[in-house]
Amino acid sequence: MMVDKRESRRQYITIAAAEPDGTTCEVQISFDRMQAVGRRSLGHAKECAFIVPMILQHPAAIFSGLRRDEDEDCRGLGWRCYCGIPEHSYRPDGSEAHPYPNQVYLVFVNDERVAYNWRWEQADPDNPTLPRDHETRFRQRLL
Amino acid sequence: MTMMSNQEFAKRMMLLAKPAEQFRPTATYDPDGDCIEFLASPESFYAERVDDLVTVYYSQETGEVIGSLIKGVSKFCKTLLEKMPGFRIEIRDGRVSLEHIFRARLWFSHFAPEELPTLTYQKLIRMAEEIQAEAELCVS
Repeated sequence: MMVDKRESRRQYITIAAAEPDGTTCEVQISFDRMQAVGRRSLGHAKECAFIVPMILQHPAAIFSGLRRDEDEDCRGLGWRCYCGIPEHSYRPDGSEAHPYPNQVYLVFVNDERVAYNWRWEQADPDNPTLPRDHETRFRQRLL
Repeated sequence: MTMMSNQEFAKRMMLLAKPAEQFRPTATYDPDGDCIEFLASPESFYAERVDDLVTVYYSQETGEVIGSLIKGVSKFCKTLLEKMPGFRIEIRDGRVSLEHIFRARLWFSHFAPEELPTLTYQKLIRMAEEIQAEAELCVS
């Protein structure tokens, strides 16, 4: 099995996302990433299709400066993490289920406003709408 | 660039969707995140950070490790080749086995053999070996 790394220009799709001040901004998702996710399962495809826009547009919190994800280097500046609890989770066959208990859904956006990763993570036991260790993991909470 | 409505976006995404039965293990480099995502199962997962380099993916169903996200790939490669120049011999046509990346990271770390991160790395090494996962490295 080989990793597929494309050096050529990527194609992006633009969707809406919330700004901390209540306005709207644009976030891009690469078509390559969508294809890779689509090949996994109907459940993964539905997470991207339905959960990612919902979290970007109606986040419970937005953090900036992904300390851990970028190993505290300067690239962490301007990178964001959108967080929330979706209405549903999706099984591999694409069927709907309740959201996973004690988990939140995170969408990571880089400083060029590209959403490059999204996933479930454990919630903070003291605030179940936020990810565990959010106090130490991000530089700033924007929303 | 025109903003797509949620409905159009969902439709476009679902046109790309394949059933889980067609899943094959994948390792994909994403230049936007400078990360390699490695997934050995189509199950839904949750993520937990192991350290600065690796976030591990656990099956929502079984709790088993089913994949990982290797972050800051360019920086790690640079550090790796500075500290272990002989690592170049493991890179063939710009590609390296993911097991070597996991093992190199483990050898750089100060985790004790019985610590959870060590056990997690060992599990990822076994998985990468089993499915012969390879990554492309940027070696300058």
